[in-house]
Amino acid sequence: MKTLLLAGLMAGALALPASAAQLTVVTAGDTNMVDYINQYLGPLFEKQNPGDTVRAVGTGPGDAGSQKILERFEAQSGNEKWDTDVAVVHEKFVGPMVEKGFLKKYRSDISTGKLVTSDKAKMALGTNVDGYVMPMFSSQTAIAYNPDLVKNPPKSYSEIADWAKAHPKEFGYNGIKGGASGVSFVMGWIYAFGDGDAKQLMNGPFEESQTKKWDAALQKLKDFNQVATLTPGNAGTLDMLSRGEIAMGPVWVDMFYSWQADGKLPPNFKLVLPAPGMPGQPMHYVIPKGAPNPQLAEKFVELATSPKVQAEGIVKRFNWYPGIDAKYVKPELDQATWDKLFKDVTPEDLAKYAKPFPIAPYNNAILEAYEKNVAN
Amino acid sequence: MSLAVSRAPSFARFRPNLRWLPRALCLGLLAFVIFGPLANLLLWAFAERWYYPHILPLQYGFEFWGRVFEPRGGALTSLSNSIVIALLAVAGSLALAVPAAYSLARLKLPLRSLILIAFLIPQAFPEMPVYVNIARLFYGIGLNGTILGVVLVHVTHGLVYAIWIATAAFAAVDEELEQAARSIGAGPLRAFFDVTLPLAMPGIIASGIFVFLESLDEFTGSYFVGAPDVTTLPLLLYTAGAGGNYQTASITALLLLVPSILFMLVVERFLRADVLAKVGR
Amino acid sequence: MRERLVGLGLVLPALLTILLLFVYPLTTSVTGAFETEAGAGLGNFAKVWELYATDILYTLAIVSLSTVLIALFSIIIGGYLTLGENPRAVAILRWLYRWPLFIPFIVVGQIMRTFLAKNGLMNNLLVAAGLLTPLQTTSFLDWRGIVIAFVWKQTPFVALLVAGAMAALDRGTIEAARNLGASRLRILVEIVVPQVRGTLLVGMILSFVTMMSVLSVPLMISAQTPTMITADMAFRINAYGDYGVADALGLISLAMTFAVAFAYLRQSVRERSR
Repeated sequence: MKTLLLAGLMAGALALPASAAQLTVVTAGDTNMVDYINQYLGPLFEKQNPGDTVRAVGTGPGDAGSQKILERFEAQSGNEKWDTDVAVVHEKFVGPMVEKGFLKKYRSDISTGKLVTSDKAKMALGTNVDGYVMPMFSSQTAIAYNPDLVKNPPKSYSEIADWAKAHPKEFGYNGIKGGASGVSFVMGWIYAFGDGDAKQLMNGPFEESQTKKWDAALQKLKDFNQVATLTPGNAGTLDMLSRGEIAMGPVWVDMFYSWQADGKLPPNFKLVLPAPGMPGQPMHYVIPKGAPNPQLAEKFVELATSPKVQAEGIVKRFNWYPGIDAKYVKPELDQATWDKLFKDVTPEDLAKYAKPFPIAPYNNAILEAYEKNVAN
Repeated sequence: MSLAVSRAPSFARFRPNLRWLPRALCLGLLAFVIFGPLANLLLWAFAERWYYPHILPLQYGFEFWGRVFEPRGGALTSLSNSIVIALLAVAGSLALAVPAAYSLARLKLPLRSLILIAFLIPQAFPEMPVYVNIARLFYGIGLNGTILGVVLVHVTHGLVYAIWIATAAFAAVDEELEQAARSIGAGPLRAFFDVTLPLAMPGIIASGIFVFLESLDEFTGSYFVGAPDVTTLPLLLYTAGAGGNYQTASITALLLLVPSILFMLVVERFLRADVLAKVGR
Repeated sequence: MRERLVGLGLVLPALLTILLLFVYPLTTSVTGAFETEAGAGLGNFAKVWELYATDILYTLAIVSLSTVLIALFSIIIGGYLTLGENPRAVAILRWLYRWPLFIPFIVVGQIMRTFLAKNGLMNNLLVAAGLLTPLQTTSFLDWRGIVIAFVWKQTPFVALLVAGAMAALDRGTIEAARNLGASRLRILVEIVVPQVRGTLLVGMILSFVTMMSVLSVPLMISAQTPTMITADMAFRINAYGDYGVADALGLISLAMTFAVAFAYLRQSVRERSR
């Protein structure tokens, strides 16, 4: 009896169910990215396409999550049919994916393709990705602070440096390891205090000589680290903020709002975007070239980037900045919801201080320079 | 003699009262050390709002339980997948490990040390850079997305525990007992099953428990080889834990706790009865 | 000769599994460690030396310290379970010590982070109990937190093995020593531990190996400099896509583990041939 049961179990386990018109979405980011598909986008898509189902797999937050998707594509690159239809990855990884030929060009095939005109859908850290991506949402970093402890929040990087010296250990960030909020802070530091031209760092071209112009800024950062607290990562910074161990620190705006919604951060905490700016990055929908259901995948992305879904899902549900151009999303929302998006960081602030990350070669050079000069 | 008697009463009054104190203090400290952090786990599993300066959560509730168990999330499927895979991994590891361990412990094996060290490799080389290649291998032979594939990956990782512990367990069994059985006419297999194996059983059971626990903790292999067809609970656990979703991570950890403890209890009950029965004979 | 063949045959299935499913994919990583942009060479190792030398020593120190502490606590717990004379205390201990075994490492990282922080649960409880003032609270979220997390999680593992081995010992020698008046501590150190040394060392090596490859704990508790090698490997891969240096770090980790295991095995071979 027992052997029969065991044999039956093994037979059932080994014969895997065939996937029928099933869309597989692999997404980096927090669990709320998976929840978004399972609770909102998936059911919506299934209602519009009866008979088809959607399943979502999360790979984890941050660069690590997107790297896992890149590695997944790498591992199946030899096969004709892959196991992923749609992937959601951070901007930094789209360039390598395009260069390695893993992605399908689809933006011109879908109707919402023309709803995004900004550069972020065409260039990713210096690589031309035009046609391969549709932005899901735009993520921006800002400095979160406790208004009870910080009465006059600093409005620029210089003011932050001075504030940290006056209040040792009360500013916390995660360096460059463990999370991209710290990386973003460091990039903004170089934009602010580096001797070269910040615009060249953002747009190129890459010149080796530029990398020598950061010595003073890095030394200043090293001194800054003496009076700042180093946290374990993105969640680490938010963690310490919520426990009152630090009063200020760089955070991803979407993560900040999600933590507040989940009751892990006091509701009175605020954000400020300091001059001359901090980098942000979009998260992109991409379709791998070996997708088993490419037409269905395009329909899915089309739905996800339609103005109604961007309004209902991205802005209203999450309080995140939309991926497509704001002017298409705004009519779908009431004024109150729209204003909530810009409660702390106004559209003017964003226009002035929301920057892209440096292009990939400068990006890596800055990280290496930090490792060599600041961390050692 | 009389001195001892006359001394005893005055001490007898004080001794029982104080002697339990250091013992109780140590146990109390141990309980704090173990249950303090675990209390954190429990609190986060039921906390809906918790931030400084509140020592305890402001608001309790089952909101996040609802999120974890919402039907499309497939938490129950993931849980049952995880348990099935863990059980198969234990079976596979022990099936491979017991003969190997016996051989390593008893028989004259060339390169014995090298072989033992070889089994350390899957744990000793951190897995991050290797998994792309492992995934490529499995995609190539079509084992990705199958339970068998994930079980194989878990067995590879668990074999180190199974082999090393079982080898030590077999080595600890007195050879003279085996030789005694052989000398009264038992064949080598009979001697193994009736004498050596029961005596080494506690160690083998322990290694089975560790392989089970290791399998329930395994994320990278399950992601690369299993997902999206075979999802395990550690996938959700890692995404939640790394992102600071304390509530979801704690709930998932509690979910994984149940089969782990059940497995250990069942196996130990089985072990105690079996071993006691054999020893009595 | 025949015995050797039989022996090899028994080991072969397990060995083949490891070789095919892990070592074969690993060879790409091993060769990758020696490939740099300028062709084959030791460039990756040079970079490791330049940037991560402190971290390598740090990893070795943390893991070694944790292993020693784990061994110590396991002996104490196993010893009390075997030699303890109060049945209720022994029963409580037996029930108590195993709980951390079932908690996955990433959860250990999470709960230790919120427990050991400056305003974490531990300090809050101590302050509420009046044992500390808020100004005296310190954060343990550095190398101490990593060691605490490792010791917390791994001690039940080794203690389980050691207690099992101690329970299987012949009580005769213990009883004889008790009758002669030896204290329990003396019995533990001079009679019990030497007999379970094999199991203890196996537990220690397995713990060493496990702790060397854990990523979640250092990442969640203290990802700053210095940090453990695994965190650096993850950073190299995720931030730069630099598998070369990551592979080099992996080889170093492998070498450290091999050195420790080899030392143990030579010791045990020497004992067997005695």
